[in-house]
Amino acid sequence: MAAPTVTASLNASTYSPGDQMTLTVTYADPDTKTLTVTVVVTDAQGNSSAPARVTAVIDPLTVTVTDDSGRTWTKVSDTGAVAVYRAVA
Amino acid sequence: MPRVTVTVRDRGGHTATATADYTVAPPVLGGYYLSGNADPTADLAGGNFRSLTQYRSFADGYVFPGYHNTWLPVLGRNGVAITMVLELKHYGAADTGPQTFTVDGVRYTVPAPAMTIQQRPGTTWPKAYGYGQVLAGLCDGLLARALSQYRTLGFPVNIQLASELDTDHEFGTTESGVAYSWADSDTRAVQAMTYIVNWFKTRGLPAGTTFSVGSGGFDRAAYLRTHPEALMARLDFLQWNVYATDPAHTALGRFRRTRDWAVADLGPVALSRPVIIAEWGVRKAEFPDQGAWIATVPPAIAQLNAERGPRIVRTNYFNSGWGAFVPKDAGLAALRAAYATRPYV
Repeated sequence: MAAPTVTASLNASTYSPGDQMTLTVTYADPDTKTLTVTVVVTDAQGNSSAPARVTAVIDPLTVTVTDDSGRTWTKVSDTGAVAVYRAVA
Repeated sequence: MPRVTVTVRDRGGHTATATADYTVAPPVLGGYYLSGNADPTADLAGGNFRSLTQYRSFADGYVFPGYHNTWLPVLGRNGVAITMVLELKHYGAADTGPQTFTVDGVRYTVPAPAMTIQQRPGTTWPKAYGYGQVLAGLCDGLLARALSQYRTLGFPVNIQLASELDTDHEFGTTESGVAYSWADSDTRAVQAMTYIVNWFKTRGLPAGTTFSVGSGGFDRAAYLRTHPEALMARLDFLQWNVYATDPAHTALGRFRRTRDWAVADLGPVALSRPVIIAEWGVRKAEFPDQGAWIATVPPAIAQLNAERGPRIVRTNYFNSGWGAFVPKDAGLAALRAAYATRPYV
């Protein structure tokens, strides 16, 4: 299995107390694949069910964010490749 | 400096880590100036005032803390950040002749100021010690006198050389009968400011001493000329003044103007320096409700400090001239309210 990759960037390097800080995390893993299994049941007469779909992620990634100042970072969005977190300075 | 650590882990236990460091700046220091360098203690009492501007002429016998200014050392020892504007300008019509005095046992004779500045047509042009006089070492006694007094003050200050170089030079200068254009005056001033800063820095200063040069900040080309990287490397702050004197003036627009020029024009050393607004004010004539305009200042400063570029770290309201509070109580109340909000707290 390959190792994941991650980058982290803040929207500024210096904040005033009380400012909203935004952290953008970009992450990936070559092994991570999202697949969709589609099931269709067909009887002997050739009647088919409506397709039922289920998705699964192979080798999913977990992202954790810590801050040594004790600030709490809250996830506001996550596309699976880019996650955005916010905290208050 | 706080650090954010992001860890990504896959199902096999492989991890990748990235970090991002950031700084949470201290609050902006809300500051003040009271007309005539007067004792502001009563005005400051009980409010979140943490910065102060004062003006001194090198020609004066009492540069630090100022003649009979027993209150200034009290404020300084109590942690009010003081910007001492030291000017080559000679304030008084009287005694513009040569001076002879003794500093720490050394006898100095300083010639009469040989330059005129602020040569606005139809006005009396103030005298100032000339940039050529400074560079020739003729004003070293003035520097020695100021330094000797400063060493006894007991706390460090920001020494701002000149109040507004652009105002001083706008109509040219004249030294010893030679006329200099605005641009030439700027060039000469940069040399003289460099000389003065170097003179102080090579003689041992109280720890925490900082330097800046003064600008009104109303002319983009002049601001660039007076902030070369070689000088900025010797300075600790950028500085400009901010006034609302037109009904169309917004706080954001006025505080932004010089800042945007600086960001566009100045080098990386200059832009690494935080900003002192030694004077800001809103003129009663155009803004009868001065307090309403003042209330818009905190969010404007917060917004500017959230943008790329130098941070504004001190803003000193100029309760005099264009900024004079009329009535005083209402203006002061508005200022107190502004300084009680982000980014001043």
